[in-house]
Amino acid sequence: MLQNSPEIGHSSHVVTLDVRPQLLDALSALRDRVAAARFPLPLAGAPRARANRDELLAQLDDYLVPRLKEPEAPLLAVVGGSTGAGKSTLVNSLVGRRVSEAGVLRPTTRTPVLVCHPEDHHWFSGMRVLPDLTRVWVPHREPDDDLLLPGENPTRVLRVETADSLPPGIALLDAPDIDSLVADNRVLAAELLCAADIWVMVTTAARYADAVPWHLLRTAKEYDATLVTVLDRVPHQVVAEVSRQYAALLTKAGLGDVPRFTVPELPESAWGGGLLPASAVAPLRTWLAHRAQDLGARHDAMARTAHGILDSLKSRMPELAGATAAQYAAALRLTAAVDGAYDGEHARVRSRLQAGAVLAGDALKRWRAFPLDCTPEELLDSLVESLTALLLCSVTAADERVDETWRREPAAAAPELAGRDPAPESAEHRIGMAVRRWRRELEEYAEDEVRELDRNLAPDPAVVAALVATVLLGGRRGRSAGERLAERIGAHGALRLRDRGGRLLDEHVDRVLHVERERRLAPLDGLEVHPEPQAELIAALSVLQKER
Amino acid sequence: MTAVTDQDPTEHTGHTTGEVVPAGRPDQAGRSEQASASEGRSEQASALEGRSEQASALEGRSELGSALAGRADRGGRSGQPSAQPADESGRSGTTDRSGPGNGQEPDRDATERVTARGDVAGDATGEDAGGAGRGAPSQKRGGERHSRGYHARAMDAAVSRRTERDRERDGAWGRIGESGRDRNGDAGAKRRAASEREAAVGHESVSGRPVAYEQAVPSVPAVASGHSVVSERAVGAPPGSADGGEGAWGDGLIARRVDERNGGTDPYSVVPSRPAGSSAALMPLAYDGQLRSRLDALRELVGLSRTRLDTGTLGEAGRVLDEAAARRRLSGQHTVVAIAGATGSGKSQLFNTLAGVTISETGVRRPTTAAPIACSWSDGAASLLDRLSIPGRLRRRPIQYPDSSGSPLRGLVLIDLPDHDSAAVQHREQVDRILRLVDAVIWVVDPEKYADAVLHERYLRPMAGHAEVTFVVLNQVDRLPGEAAEQVLDDLRRLLDEDGIALGEHGEPGATVLALSALTGEGVGELREMLGQFVAERQAPARRISADVDAAARDLRPVYVTGQRTGLSEEAREEFADRLADAVGATAAGEAAERAWLRNANRACGTPWLQLWRWYHDRREPPTGRLPLRSQVDEEATARQRVEQAVRTVSERASAGLPTPWAQAMREAAVRGAQGLPEALDELAVRTGLPPGRPPRPGWWPVAVLGQASMTLLQVVGGLWLLGQIIGFVPPDLGVPVLLMLAGIIGGPLIEWSCRIAARGPARRYGHEAERLLREAAAGCGRARVLDPLAAELLRYREVREQYGRVTGVGAVAR
Repeated sequence: MLQNSPEIGHSSHVVTLDVRPQLLDALSALRDRVAAARFPLPLAGAPRARANRDELLAQLDDYLVPRLKEPEAPLLAVVGGSTGAGKSTLVNSLVGRRVSEAGVLRPTTRTPVLVCHPEDHHWFSGMRVLPDLTRVWVPHREPDDDLLLPGENPTRVLRVETADSLPPGIALLDAPDIDSLVADNRVLAAELLCAADIWVMVTTAARYADAVPWHLLRTAKEYDATLVTVLDRVPHQVVAEVSRQYAALLTKAGLGDVPRFTVPELPESAWGGGLLPASAVAPLRTWLAHRAQDLGARHDAMARTAHGILDSLKSRMPELAGATAAQYAAALRLTAAVDGAYDGEHARVRSRLQAGAVLAGDALKRWRAFPLDCTPEELLDSLVESLTALLLCSVTAADERVDETWRREPAAAAPELAGRDPAPESAEHRIGMAVRRWRRELEEYAEDEVRELDRNLAPDPAVVAALVATVLLGGRRGRSAGERLAERIGAHGALRLRDRGGRLLDEHVDRVLHVERERRLAPLDGLEVHPEPQAELIAALSVLQKER
Repeated sequence: MTAVTDQDPTEHTGHTTGEVVPAGRPDQAGRSEQASASEGRSEQASALEGRSEQASALEGRSELGSALAGRADRGGRSGQPSAQPADESGRSGTTDRSGPGNGQEPDRDATERVTARGDVAGDATGEDAGGAGRGAPSQKRGGERHSRGYHARAMDAAVSRRTERDRERDGAWGRIGESGRDRNGDAGAKRRAASEREAAVGHESVSGRPVAYEQAVPSVPAVASGHSVVSERAVGAPPGSADGGEGAWGDGLIARRVDERNGGTDPYSVVPSRPAGSSAALMPLAYDGQLRSRLDALRELVGLSRTRLDTGTLGEAGRVLDEAAARRRLSGQHTVVAIAGATGSGKSQLFNTLAGVTISETGVRRPTTAAPIACSWSDGAASLLDRLSIPGRLRRRPIQYPDSSGSPLRGLVLIDLPDHDSAAVQHREQVDRILRLVDAVIWVVDPEKYADAVLHERYLRPMAGHAEVTFVVLNQVDRLPGEAAEQVLDDLRRLLDEDGIALGEHGEPGATVLALSALTGEGVGELREMLGQFVAERQAPARRISADVDAAARDLRPVYVTGQRTGLSEEAREEFADRLADAVGATAAGEAAERAWLRNANRACGTPWLQLWRWYHDRREPPTGRLPLRSQVDEEATARQRVEQAVRTVSERASAGLPTPWAQAMREAAVRGAQGLPEALDELAVRTGLPPGRPPRPGWWPVAVLGQASMTLLQVVGGLWLLGQIIGFVPPDLGVPVLLMLAGIIGGPLIEWSCRIAARGPARRYGHEAERLLREAAAGCGRARVLDPLAAELLRYREVREQYGRVTGVGAVAR
């Protein structure tokens, strides 16, 4: 193995890692805020925000909080890289025996393997880091054993191995491919990298220009994590050229000071899953051992990664907050669309009622025939039906307008919002109930009025009710009904009855439209998109900044 | 002339057998004949001395004729096998005709004759069009070919003009070209001369020929017994004969030689496709009937849906159409194959290995290749490469084998692409651009990268439909020990299968998967062989376009198909009519009319006493209910909200099961139709309602009135009589007057009662009539304004849906 970088340590990053309980409190408060952030509306930035949140959460849960709580825990070096880069072979060679399956079929590693010194085993057997992964520990495993427990989801399992050959104080984790065809593997690999003190990025002579690993390298730079790159499987004829190229690329990306190790392609490395000779990986092994045993170096590596993540919060938290704000803004727009549509329809219903639109069609024909060829009950029935039709029509129209507006909103594509009950009959039913209730109350009012009148002159309460309904709903056309009503129960009584009935009508119409609007908004309210998370996230960040 | 007569027997064969020959088969046969053909070509220089030679050529042709006759006999006996020879010999005849012409070029006076001969040739091809029509009665697909023939004729001039341009480009090629192309350059010059002549010939042929050549005509169907062959010949014939300047030049000789040698016993002697391939490819691509109709259908579909769908949705379909049209104009003799893969997989290495010369730079520096490089195995690919916008400095030729004409990869244009997965984004853009334009793709993967997500997710899965034009090559197998190569190959197959790519195993159509090592050369021979076969089939462009159409159709599926029942049911129509009737108040009007009639009947036929009482009662009551102002015409008599709701419901019903854009269109149509509907209904209610005033009186009313009057009279007479008895004016006789009065008192109500019973029926009829009038008028208005536009819109959707079905190639569509 060749040592390309003359300067390995990060002398420029001598930082102390003093952890006060206040900082931990602030951090866990921040963690809770992050965990509570939700992005249910499918906006353009939502998937990214969700991924950012998950990544941040993984870093906080799997790395930062446990690391700050227990700085003495062994370092974790995660070996990551593209499929076929030889990660497992590298880990096996570093350990000195076959702990991770290597092979020619891709993707090879499906279960992450953690290797540590037996003394360090307790650090990793618990749920201190990577709490989502089920631990599998097979102490005396034959190399050819089946690695998986039956019925276990292979991607959510962490296999813990111990090896005496590894120095205490450091653990190696063989991660799945970062660009695997299996999507779960990719997610898991990203998650595992979040838990690392030291990122060991493995690439090969054929791959060092691939886009995906470079993306990870840039991420590592962004978080200022302790990073090592290994250029694996370099045919010995071209070692010098390839490694020069790679160095140039790294320098160009601003990663020139990252330690680089080159592993030549040996027959053992290829496809056999055999171990590389110790000499091939000795420099890397020494470097890692140095991190583990030298207190200063260890502290450097740890502190650099930890502070890198803490620093990265400064930009990532506002990003999350921005995403939650965008969610809230979108929810607000959706609500405004509903409110606008229903308000508009409400105004229309009022103006139609004023204009006497209810006294049209069937109802009008009945009214013309009243009282000679039509009973008051029939008139009232048809008026009630007509009013129901008016309300139903405006509710449907409002829904249609909402749909129209929502169709242009990307946020409205959320499955919770799309799947509203498609049965307008239920709305018809609800409106019909409300209108019939109004009718009953109106009839009671009419009876009240009639009861107060002289017994023998008293008109039929049904006629009075029909007339007052006509007056209320007929607008200008129902004026003659008012005259007749006045003739029957006197001008004073007619006025009183009319006012009461009018108030009652307004009340019922308002209630109907309000209920329908609420029903329409219920799924949106159910998503619970509020303005608070934004402020809370920022507040948690500023508390944390103060405590550092 | 001989050529013309030669073809007569073939015609018979074609007719008697009526068999369709697959286009690919003669080509393969052609390759088997490769050796003899090239031999013939090498001889041609010496052989073509002058007129004596021509004479022998003619002779040869007459021999051919007899040979063909012999074959025709056989064909008559054995059916299918003989159809193929007929086809071939027919074609050879075609090339034949112009062949000798160019052969005699050095000879002045021969040239003249040749021109005449060229006339015949060009004419024969030109006559293809008309001939197809003339020969129609005896042909099965006459009509079909007829129209295509016209198309061919119209294209003649254009095509020959274009081929000129092509040839000029070829000249440029020649300049760039490496050593060993002298002959080509030579040929190019000759061809230019020939093509100039041909242009003239083409003109003549367009202008039509005397009937003297009609005998040549029926032969064409025989030649073109395969579908694709027909169009290829018809469209491409004039340039084909033009480029015969070089290609067919040797061909006539070959035909002759073969005939001389075999005495016409070998039916596979001459294959027409090969010479065209050996020369500059001037024969544009032709798609077979099905693909063409699918493309047409897609074009129509895009046209029909342009108003309904946004351009983004139709963008891909439009692109496919454009590409298909662009590819179609270009050479059908070439197959453009791109080598794509990840960085470091060995694309350039494979490219160089196939070309036999180091063209593309290889190296350990990643990424190595930054711009696509092309290598063409034969001439005439310039326009194809222009389409890919590969600059001239990046166009190369493969190593020239001593026997270059026999290269099995003739017609191949290989493109070495940059990588698609490196950090250099512009590489990926180039790859994406070119992959859309090439005919086939060789994906190079290596053992390290074959499972990369970016390869499978970004490229292989979306292009799964293109399996037939896909090769997947596992490179660098030399790096794998022993049986590991097999393992990796199996795993690769599994991954491809998961991507949905059909694998071309066991002779099924699909992607070809190979393991090879470009470094050691292991497996390259196999790839070369497969490529050669693939290129010789010449199906790749059409397959690619077909797969593109499939993909475009699949993308468009959600906007055309929902898999649900569509259409406006009878119940929905009736419900709409009911709602409109409610809106105009038909039921209420009917009931009111019925009751009014009944009331009038009662009043008319009631007892006078009762009427008197009513009159008194009315006078006591305030005069309400029949206010005169109510007879005025109301504005907005129709319930607007009911009309609106009815329209909304019916449009909802009509758009159920339609894809979103079409449902939206349906809704818009309904809303547009509903504008002014309430006003129309208002007007209608006034116009078609029952006439105002009293309803008509039936004939029995006067009788009833008379009866009532007589009853009253009886009562009065009886009463007076009794009064007279009391006064003593008349002798007392209780019996008769009491009886009279009693009869009057009982009879009056009796008549009233029976009248009421009798009036019930007519009253109901009257009411129903009133209701029916209104209801029908309203329904008619609704139908004209709303239902008919909806039905038209539905019809439009169905048309589009059928068109879509035609695009997918399913044909009939389940609705």
